[in-house]
Amino acid sequence: MPKSKYLKAAEIQAAVDYGIDISMLIANIGRSYSERIKRHQIALNTAEKLKGARRL
Amino acid sequence: MSSDLFNLLERLVNAGVDFVIIGGFADVVHGCTYVTQDIGICCDFKPATMLALQKAISDLHPVHRMTPGRKKLELTEQTCGQFKNLYLDTDIGQLDCLSFIDGLGDYGEVRRESELIEVEEIKMRVLSVDALIKTKKSMNRLRDKEAVLQLEAIKKLREPKQDIL
Repeated sequence: MPKSKYLKAAEIQAAVDYGIDISMLIANIGRSYSERIKRHQIALNTAEKLKGARRL
Repeated sequence: MSSDLFNLLERLVNAGVDFVIIGGFADVVHGCTYVTQDIGICCDFKPATMLALQKAISDLHPVHRMTPGRKKLELTEQTCGQFKNLYLDTDIGQLDCLSFIDGLGDYGEVRRESELIEVEEIKMRVLSVDALIKTKKSMNRLRDKEAVLQLEAIKKLREPKQDIL
């Protein structure tokens, strides 16, 4: 992905400048609604598990 | 998908509750990358809807999560009218039900600004990207800044055949 083209849209550039990983957005857009929800649930379940972690 | 946030929505659809998914979960549906721990919906707070909603989640031990002592959800036809919003916790996740959304209006307006989606053969309504941006901008909360940036980028990325990449 050439950087000069990547920077063309102001909305994309603003997101990049904020630190948003555009490649993750692009990947999500390519997924179905079901797949997005499923992957979100996996992330949420993982975060919930990590909440219960304890220092050893 | 069974014992998870989506299950809450599935229950509402099966109970015939007319609603629109809003907030962070709607952002996720549209492709945003962050994780949210609750589901927000906007619905008509008429007694029939509220009682159907209550019945749909009754076995999940719903409570008002913002009240002292986390009171049980015990709506009746008479008490339904007392609420404009419900902030609930259940055994499988939090469910926020709003009757009005800043920057958009009541359920009728919100429904007009929604789109119909299908997830695992279940049809439901989700607030559009444009409407999500509109309401988040109108609320002007710091925590929505990233959401707005992601949604605006998603909107741009969805445009067909744009030379943006």
